[in-house]
Amino acid sequence: MIQKKICMVGVFGTGKTCLVQQFVHSIFSVKYLSTVGVKIDRKEVQVGDQTVTLMLWDLEGRDGTHDVSPSYIRGAHGLIYVVDGTRRETLDQLHEIREMVRGAVGEIPSVVAVNKIDLVEEWKLTDADEAAVQSRGLQHFRTSAKTGAGVEETFKWLAEATLGKAEA
Amino acid sequence: MQAIDSFGLTDKGNVRPSNQDNFLIVDIHRSVDIRHSSLSADALANRFGSADAHLFVVADGVGGGPGGDQASEGAIAALLKYVSETVGCFNRLESSKEHDLFERLEETVRDVDQSLREEHAGKRGPAPATTLTMVLLIWPRAYLVHVGDSRAYVRRRGRLQQMTRDQTIGEYMISMGAWTEEQAARARPAAALSSAIGGTELHPVVGLVDLEPGDSIMLCTDGLTKHVANDRIETLMEQPEDVQAVTRNLVSEALAAGGSDNVAVIVVTARK
Repeated sequence: MIQKKICMVGVFGTGKTCLVQQFVHSIFSVKYLSTVGVKIDRKEVQVGDQTVTLMLWDLEGRDGTHDVSPSYIRGAHGLIYVVDGTRRETLDQLHEIREMVRGAVGEIPSVVAVNKIDLVEEWKLTDADEAAVQSRGLQHFRTSAKTGAGVEETFKWLAEATLGKAEA
Repeated sequence: MQAIDSFGLTDKGNVRPSNQDNFLIVDIHRSVDIRHSSLSADALANRFGSADAHLFVVADGVGGGPGGDQASEGAIAALLKYVSETVGCFNRLESSKEHDLFERLEETVRDVDQSLREEHAGKRGPAPATTLTMVLLIWPRAYLVHVGDSRAYVRRRGRLQQMTRDQTIGEYMISMGAWTEEQAARARPAAALSSAIGGTELHPVVGLVDLEPGDSIMLCTDGLTKHVANDRIETLMEQPEDVQAVTRNLVSEALAAGGSDNVAVIVVTARK
């Protein structure tokens, strides 16, 4: 059986936990509860004729008092950087977080989930912002943990990427 | 080796006729028996005396029936058996082995759940059930397995954070947006467990946190948290070095505030 460790990283409150809950349990919680340490879930996905078990490490978000912990990321096969499309600073911090993560695990398959697309009126990112993400060599998907839009595609793409089968 | 201080206490409270809460604190050692050696006693001193891992568990038997105590006791005993057989040989787990550990711990929880159901088959009424909140500490990593409405907290640099979420109908309805906090407070079924070992649903949650010297972990059953709010718990844990005093103070506070339920508390502190 193929097992892949996938880490969810990003600033606090971007929706990392909600994305995992939507992907694994098809539910969306309206109550915000910050993650302490790491919460671990798993889900099997089918990539071609292979079944891959994704071990989803939902890391506590970066905030003013602590950074993303390299010790949680070591051994990861893939990363989902989560950005909140209604908070521009979460995109600005993405690149700092990425540098730290690269230092811990090197270059591994990664994808950016630009989350909360259901909040259209509060959206702060431009097409140019998202193009800039792409230009840095990062695949990105617009997601909504609330409606489920783009969620399955994001995890599936990363699962394929960890097996070297994703399309850019 | 990091020094770990810990203390546990349980009390039946002021109302309940018996205590169905249980707790367990275990130091797990690698078994080394030096029969004969040319090394000096000094060279060997303290090499094998420290624990390699520590297990902390609280469990709250559900329902008040005679099976509740057996359920919480049985769940802890089964976990202890698994952990003592398999975990003592690990110092630091690699990521793939960590996933195996989580799966095995979850399996153990499911096995206990199954055995409780089988023992109860053919008998009247709901099967005995229990909550279970467990931390396996292989320094610095604390692995958590959680079922029900007992809780685990981490205290770091004076700030208390709740690691677990109560698996109750009320919490579920609030998180789904179906109830407000006020509605949940008024609704009778709000305190019913949405997940328990031996219950109608079982959804173990697993996680981990890396500790630092000076950090504390507190595990407790709802006999504490239904009477003592998180900010008050934070205050009572201001001197976590004295684990005995903190544990006693937490239990005393719950009793003084009514003691309507059994209570079990474990306080663990990593020395600075």
